[in-house]
Amino acid sequence: MPASSFSGPAVEVDRLSFNYGRQRVLDGLSLEVPGGISFGLLGPNGAGKTTLIRLLVGLLRARAGTILTLGQKPSPRTAHLVGYMPQLPSLYAELSVIQNVDFFARIYRLTDKTKRKQRVEEVIKLVDLWEHRRKSAVNLSGGMKQRASLACAFVHNPPLLFLDEPTVGLDPELRVHFWEYFQGLTRGGSTLIISSHTMDDAAHCDRLAFMRDGRVIALGTPDELRQATGQAKATLEDAFLHFVRHEEKKIVS
Amino acid sequence: MSASTLVIAGRIINQLVRDRRTLILIAVVPLVIASLVGVSVPDKRILDYTAPAILAVLILFFGFLLTGISFLRERSQGTLERLMASPVSRLDIVGGYLLGFLLFAVVQTMVLFFYLILAFKVNYYGDLWQILVFQVLIGIGAVCMGTFFSVLAKNEFQMVQFIPMIIVPQMFLCGLLWPVNQMPEYLQWLANALPMTYGVEGIRALMLQGQNLLDIGKEIGVLAAYAVGLLILSAITLRRGTG
Repeated sequence: MPASSFSGPAVEVDRLSFNYGRQRVLDGLSLEVPGGISFGLLGPNGAGKTTLIRLLVGLLRARAGTILTLGQKPSPRTAHLVGYMPQLPSLYAELSVIQNVDFFARIYRLTDKTKRKQRVEEVIKLVDLWEHRRKSAVNLSGGMKQRASLACAFVHNPPLLFLDEPTVGLDPELRVHFWEYFQGLTRGGSTLIISSHTMDDAAHCDRLAFMRDGRVIALGTPDELRQATGQAKATLEDAFLHFVRHEEKKIVS
Repeated sequence: MSASTLVIAGRIINQLVRDRRTLILIAVVPLVIASLVGVSVPDKRILDYTAPAILAVLILFFGFLLTGISFLRERSQGTLERLMASPVSRLDIVGGYLLGFLLFAVVQTMVLFFYLILAFKVNYYGDLWQILVFQVLIGIGAVCMGTFFSVLAKNEFQMVQFIPMIIVPQMFLCGLLWPVNQMPEYLQWLANALPMTYGVEGIRALMLQGQNLLDIGKEIGVLAAYAVGLLILSAITLRRGTG
């Protein structure tokens, strides 16, 4: 089980705004994520998903608004409770899979050598890279790099995991595998925040936030969002478009 | 020194050890340059006089280049962002870089020094261990400088521009080509503000005049201050918010 005794919401964001120079990227965004679920941030490119995740892991500082992850402000002191998988695979090209994962295990203070070795082997097997554990990262395929990157993100068994577009560039079979890992992690008590722009990913999440232009335009379970369209056979894509139109009408009026 | 600093340093050493071609280049390139120096200066007395300064300049140049480019790679491949989101402090990151690359800077320094001494019979009068200690100090300064400017650079193009901007003026002003005290006064001011000048003066004092480390306290002090200052500045500049 992930090491956190915190029982409140995993993430609380209140009226969060952020600018890159003069460009407003997040505009008074608020949301709350309960613990132990997979939460999808869904939206087109430029919606502000990556910026939101970078703020949540403490890589960026908010211009306005508040962020609490596991009840605390993101900082190096709370970083050991959080796992982060950036959009790029972000591996050390010359190091092998096992060396990459072991490095992050050490960085996240898994100090006991025997336990660390066990854990590193366990996560490498979990992401199905055991056969390739001695290969340099530079020699891995795109999908293998994604899996190695995922292993680095959760080797320390964090209670809260941020995954920025983790399934981008994966073939359908691998995508299914990834979702199996994710569901395994939430069953173990972890909270997953996953950004994506594909509705295929959205369908796997327990709860979703549809994002557009730096704001959350809808929140709910996939079923709730589909039902909100009023159509019996609505897909999540229909639901997203429904909320986009609804937003546009609000702006016009 | 924290455990994370050692972990980062160990990872850097691991990375370079696994990259055979880079490892070979680290050893061979200084040999090629040193050969060029030895062959192109046929007058033994001139070579004896210029070799210490060239040594100091090359240590600084190679150390700066190796660290600068590697740190930038960490940024461009996204691993720096990953580290910045982890519990390690900024000082751990730059300290780890310093320690990891120092090993390779020291290897390059030793290769350069002993090659010049053995292959081209360059004379020196000071204690060998004191000369080597001072060379390691120049190496530390070079690694700190490389780290600092690569933290400032946002991409490879900017870092490439820093090489002529930071290294070339120091080569001209450090006393390698012309004695500093015979330069125009404003250039002397500038030269005396640059670390390479102290590296060259210190190593000349040790190798040519047979002085010891206690005699070059000013040079050691300035180089150490530069190294510590740049290390702290690197940690400050490497903000969590920039990724």
